[in-house]
Amino acid sequence: MANLTTNLNTENHPFNEKLILKNPVMPASGTFGYGVEYAEYFKLEKLGAVVVKGIAPFASHGNPTPRVAEVTSGMLNAIGLQGPGIDKFLKGEEYLPFLKQQNCPIIVNIWGKTVEDYVEVAERLNEEADALTAIEINISCPNVKEGGVAFGTDEKLAYTVISKVRAATNIPLITKLSPNVTKIAPFAQVAEDAGSNMISLINTIPGMAIDIKTRKPKIANLTGGLSGPAIKPIAVRMVNEAYNAVKIPIIGMGGIMTGDDAIEFFLAGASAIGVGTAIFADPMAPINIIDGIDKFLDSEGFGNISDIIGQMGK
Amino acid sequence: MSVRQNGEIINNNLLYNDYYKVDFYAPEITKNAKAGQFIHLKIAKLEDRILRRPFSICNVSNDGTLTILYKVVGKGTEHLSKLKKCDVCDIMGPLGNPYSPPLDDEIPVVIAGGYGAASTYLLLHNSQQKGYLLLGGRSKDDLILVDEYKKTGSTVLTSTNDGSYGHKGLVTELIPDVLAKNKGKKLRFYACGPMGMLMAVGQQLLKEGFDAELSLDHLMCCGVGACFACVIKVKANNEDGWRYARTCSEGPIFKASEVYYG
Ligand SMILES: Cc1cc2nc3c(=O)[nH]c(=O)nc-3n(C[C@H](O)[C@H](O)[C@H](O)COP(=O)(O)OP(=O)(O)OC[C@H]3O[C@@H](n4cnc5c(N)ncnc54)[C@H](O)[C@@H]3O)c2cc1C
Ligand SMILES: Cc1cc2nc3c(=O)[nH]c(=O)nc-3n(C[C@H](O)[C@H](O)[C@H](O)COP(=O)(O)O)c2cc1C
Ligand code: FES
Repeated sequence: MANLTTNLNTENHPFNEKLILKNPVMPASGTFGYGVEYAEYFKLEKLGAVVVKGIAPFASHGNPTPRVAEVTSGMLNAIGLQGPGIDKFLKGEEYLPFLKQQNCPIIVNIWGKTVEDYVEVAERLNEEADALTAIEINISCPNVKEGGVAFGTDEKLAYTVISKVRAATNIPLITKLSPNVTKIAPFAQVAEDAGSNMISLINTIPGMAIDIKTRKPKIANLTGGLSGPAIKPIAVRMVNEAYNAVKIPIIGMGGIMTGDDAIEFFLAGASAIGVGTAIFADPMAPINIIDGIDKFLDSEGFGNISDIIGQMGK
Repeated sequence: MSVRQNGEIINNNLLYNDYYKVDFYAPEITKNAKAGQFIHLKIAKLEDRILRRPFSICNVSNDGTLTILYKVVGKGTEHLSKLKKCDVCDIMGPLGNPYSPPLDDEIPVVIAGGYGAASTYLLLHNSQQKGYLLLGGRSKDDLILVDEYKKTGSTVLTSTNDGSYGHKGLVTELIPDVLAKNKGKKLRFYACGPMGMLMAVGQQLLKEGFDAELSLDHLMCCGVGACFACVIKVKANNEDGWRYARTCSEGPIFKASEVYYG
């Protein structure tokens, strides 16, 4: 058994125990609902953390259907951030109150249509600051018209939204970066400069699929975000570029299906990893990935997960 | 309580045309399965296709046999049809909410189209009261399980668009006759089939003063309520009068009176 303890603290901004996770594996936002949906399959406390689907100040319908399409080695989705809104999330029994009973660190992904929306959710989450491990600021959803990726592809807007959320809360912040930029490094730096304690990447990449018989797009929104094994090499590259640009810890994700996939992300510079689409294929994927990481470290003679972070050779 | 279990194929046979029947040995799933629920199947060796496929639970038996009836429509079902005895598939289930069985004084009336008939079989099979199956399809080839339903003691009425079997026309046209024959009796309606048919059935029965349990589904991804892929519109107390409900976890069974026909 290798030591999988994951420390996401940085020297100049320590949160101590709060950011020490028992392992580096967490679900990717939007693929694990609010946790309750998978609690029948395994104990949530086995995860490094639970990351919930995006929460806004308001309830939202999301996009018209069809919202997903399977493609080679992946899928397109344009769910469009359907969600209950912050009030229901804080009070509804199948949301935060349930998660607080599960003995696992909780990360809340947030989004909004305006900067004020992001600030409002963050302020409301202060009510539960002790129960929360981090807020993940989603400035990278490609499937909503307002907000989302508009913030994640403009450095100035990104700085504004992150720094305003920073000012609104003392809860540790993760900024979820968009892969839909020419260079990821400047955005990673913006996140660090604006006071984000960690970054996560990558969100999905816009794609399209067409039903050749009906000649209609397979997604009602026309485009959807591509996820799954198809995007893994792009994700590994971007994690590595971000790693070379900033000091804050990185949560890497994009197409991770196995422990070995996760190892690539650690070597590229990720301190923790997110598992998304793989959960749809197998709800046990996060657990199997934890085991796979452990086996790899044991068989290669590494005692700690921290021994391999950023250790890609040249 | 749903679980994930490896199910070994006991047999996997062509029934007729594009319809196949597969039996899995999956005792952990069959022991909790009820009519109207579904399984989420990872078709073995499907390589670069990573998502599961949902299928209605057609039948279960005490020895752990789980029966699925499927139509070959694409890559996954095509591949499934080639799997052999002893191949093993990873199955999640039973998922979703079941039909509520008819009460002792109620006559069940099932309206089904295409593979929808797979979802309602257990309901009539387990029902103490003999009921009706109104089965519709484009042609004779789409009418599945007719003999099996007859064996449950149910009255089977059929319709086909091309008139190749039974009434020529839509399955909804069979409803008035059943209503006329059963005046004064308590009827309980269920329906499963293509979305257009379900919407028509729901609206027609509501007009007649009946409710119905409709099995509504949509393209699924997680199957457990986590991803919001599979939603349909149901009535809601908000500005719009509707909200998107997840057919996998809040359904697949919805009351006709709950559905938003907008
Ligand atoms: C609750 C539920 C119960 C079902 N019960 C049955 C049944 O008893 N018998 C049966 O033959 N079929 C049933 N279906 C439909 C069945 O899931 C699809 O026919 C099957 O997924 C097609 O897979 P494919 O790879 O062959 O098709 P492809 O078109 O290659 O599939 C591509 C993707 O689209 C999805 N998809 C395609 N068609 C459908 C569809 N109609 N519904 C849902 N997803 C679809 C697939 O799951 C896959 O992710 C049911 C669907 C649902 C949601
Ligand atoms: C169906 C679906 C819904 C998603 N919803 C969200 C979301 O609400 N917020 C978010 O930040 N990312 C969301 N994502 C992106 C994932 O968190 C993740 O970044 C991406 O899918 C890449 O990882 P994967 O290849 O392991 O899925 C979603 C992805 C999928 C497939
Ligand atoms: S398929 Fe994921 S919520 Fe229904």
